[in-house]
Amino acid sequence: MKKVLTLSLGLALLAASASAQTATKTVKINGYGGTDQTLVNDLINRFVKPQMAKDGVTVVYQPLQGDYNKALTTLLAANTAGDVMYLPGETVDGFVATGKILPLNGLVSTTPFIKSLNTAFTRNGKLYAIAKDFNTLTLVYNKDLFDEAGVAYPNNNDTWTSLATKLRTLKQKLGNDYYGTCLQPNFDRFGAFAYATGWQQFGANGKTNLADPRFAEAFNWYTGLAKDKVGVQPSELSAGWNGDCLKSGKVAVAIEGGWIVNFLRDNAPNLKYGTALLPKNDKTGKRGNFLYTVGWAINSGTKNRAAAVKVLNILTSPQVQEYVLQQGLAIPSRSSLTNSAYFKKADPGAQNAKLVFDGADDGYVRAFTFGPKGPDWAKPINEALAAVLSGQKSAADALKKAQADMTTFQSR
Amino acid sequence: MFRRGQSTTTAYLFLAPFLISTAIFFFYAFARAIYYSFTDFNLFNSPQLIGVQPYTQVVADPSFQRALTNSLIFAVVTTTLQTIFALLMAVALNNKLRGMAFFRSAWYMPSITSSVVITLIFLWLFQRRGIANYLITQWQTYQPLILTFLIGLVVAQVIQVLLERRSGLPARWTDPALAAVSALASLVVTAGLVWAGVTGPREVAPFDYQYFADKWITVGGVQILSIPLLVVIIQNTFTTVPTLMLFFLAGLQNIPGALYEAADIDGATPFQKLMNVTVPNLRPVTFYVITVGLIGTMQMFDQVAVIGSAAPQDTLITLAFYVYTNTFKAGAAPVNLAAAAAIILALLILAMVFVQRRFFPSEAR
Repeated sequence: MKKVLTLSLGLALLAASASAQTATKTVKINGYGGTDQTLVNDLINRFVKPQMAKDGVTVVYQPLQGDYNKALTTLLAANTAGDVMYLPGETVDGFVATGKILPLNGLVSTTPFIKSLNTAFTRNGKLYAIAKDFNTLTLVYNKDLFDEAGVAYPNNNDTWTSLATKLRTLKQKLGNDYYGTCLQPNFDRFGAFAYATGWQQFGANGKTNLADPRFAEAFNWYTGLAKDKVGVQPSELSAGWNGDCLKSGKVAVAIEGGWIVNFLRDNAPNLKYGTALLPKNDKTGKRGNFLYTVGWAINSGTKNRAAAVKVLNILTSPQVQEYVLQQGLAIPSRSSLTNSAYFKKADPGAQNAKLVFDGADDGYVRAFTFGPKGPDWAKPINEALAAVLSGQKSAADALKKAQADMTTFQSR
Repeated sequence: MFRRGQSTTTAYLFLAPFLISTAIFFFYAFARAIYYSFTDFNLFNSPQLIGVQPYTQVVADPSFQRALTNSLIFAVVTTTLQTIFALLMAVALNNKLRGMAFFRSAWYMPSITSSVVITLIFLWLFQRRGIANYLITQWQTYQPLILTFLIGLVVAQVIQVLLERRSGLPARWTDPALAAVSALASLVVTAGLVWAGVTGPREVAPFDYQYFADKWITVGGVQILSIPLLVVIIQNTFTTVPTLMLFFLAGLQNIPGALYEAADIDGATPFQKLMNVTVPNLRPVTFYVITVGLIGTMQMFDQVAVIGSAAPQDTLITLAFYVYTNTFKAGAAPVNLAAAAAIILALLILAMVFVQRRFFPSEAR
């Protein structure tokens, strides 16, 4: 508790000194630390500062290190958050409930942006953020392993069954040191497969039904890959996530979003990889997918509303998005950029970007969110996945317990 | 020299920094927490009084019930273990041996290392491919060799002692000089057996236990203690024993030597001296150690926070962690529930100390 106290005190002091400058009209932006820090500072220096300087407004980026959501909550509660800020798609509900996020209806034009992304940030008819960029899941595969095993690469027509067959054959040919794929015991990845069956995250009554046979179908397929070690958990290979698995050169396929491209470029430059769309469910003939997105939102308590809106418009402008796309950093949220020349390039990174973009409106695509009760919603599912993947429970038992836990959680 | 009023003012002046910070960060914060625990506060609204509803909600929350059970079990088990080990270590370190200063500082090391760092190290030790599993695999591999050596050692020792006694010499079963010879002989025999191919390391599959998983020690179908929490108990005992040992060591120095001399004259064994002289005389120290231990373990937070999502939350959640997770969420958070849980935690600790004072008087007999 002591550390938290010192931390929030420090933050409060920092923020206090920053707000003292608002007299000279400063727009402060809150966002992620890490790589985003360099990127957003670059964007601000290139595009935002020149335009805002004309109005006599300075723009500063204040990255929040560590857990962004917790840090932003503290700043919002203390009224010291930035004027413009990142709003992660999965925590929209919690932040909207604070009343500190400004509804953007009538302030910003939403038409140029991909519709499903606007929906992701809309609650009760009010739009709370403009998507900055987005990601979906794709199937990234190691070409060398498929060549060596003499198995055809995964492609966009694969179904669950045909993909599983490919992975099993590959595992048989290459032996015990190699694996078909890494399976994270998480709704973050598994959910896409549950959606492919037509399963709904929340039913008409707002409750989640894990006893739905469609959910069980996806659950059995996903955990069934763990048989014969065709699919393993990243932790079994001492890997933190699917990207680490692919990087090791021992795993043929990783189910990840476009963020894996830069990771592979930096960490496994010699790995030859290709990308395919996620496989289709055999029965529905459709794929499922997640929309992972972060939006730009405005603090309802801002003293410089006009300047903040202007900054938000610049940050989501076509020039900025084209630049971000060209840098291979993220996929733009403007529908007009679908025709960007970048998507037609031959390099594997650009091809991955194209498929991430295509994934956004192919099959059952839903925003990655946990609903009004927050991330704890996914806990019963994650626990069930972990129990089955590590061989502690049968799928049927795990699902039964998950449904019971979910009912308790939702009736609270 | 000073008039009375003046010296009081001076005293308060020097005490002021401490008094002010205590008033703000303890009394004011505590009062606020009590107030919030009766409201519908969520960090962002203006709080409205709603009575004891937050308390009933918290008590009905399954994850609070788990947190309460985990905290109580953790506190009782850890406090018991650390008090016993600290006492034994202090007694061992109270001997006058060559190089005792080195042992005293070496054994104190775990206490001065940051608990976050130690938690990370333990996280590595108890990974699926960690050192704990590696050592168990090694033990299984070399079990035949180790057993052969141990059997050889015992047999050689028995033979030697019997020979000595037959020639009329008073030899104890644990005679160190004879044991050294026995060990040497057993080593030679084991090496010979390995060379002859009679015994040798076995081929075993790597021991593959997952410590940070949803695994429980159950009694009659009720989940009592989770394996991840057991790892945290081991770690916590390892890091707190040295500090508590220091208190015992200080207490030991105060026990008059005459008592031990008297016990020696009466022919007491070392165990009898420990139970009848040392333990009763250390009663005030023991009271302090147990109180500090209970408060510390009931408030345990950092280890759970560092392990984080590496273990399923139910296996590790404690009251302090429950309070934290309910206060810092994305956006609006049930701060009233967190406050209520914090007050319950405070009352529990208070009750524990009172019970202890009632049944274990701190005065030496």
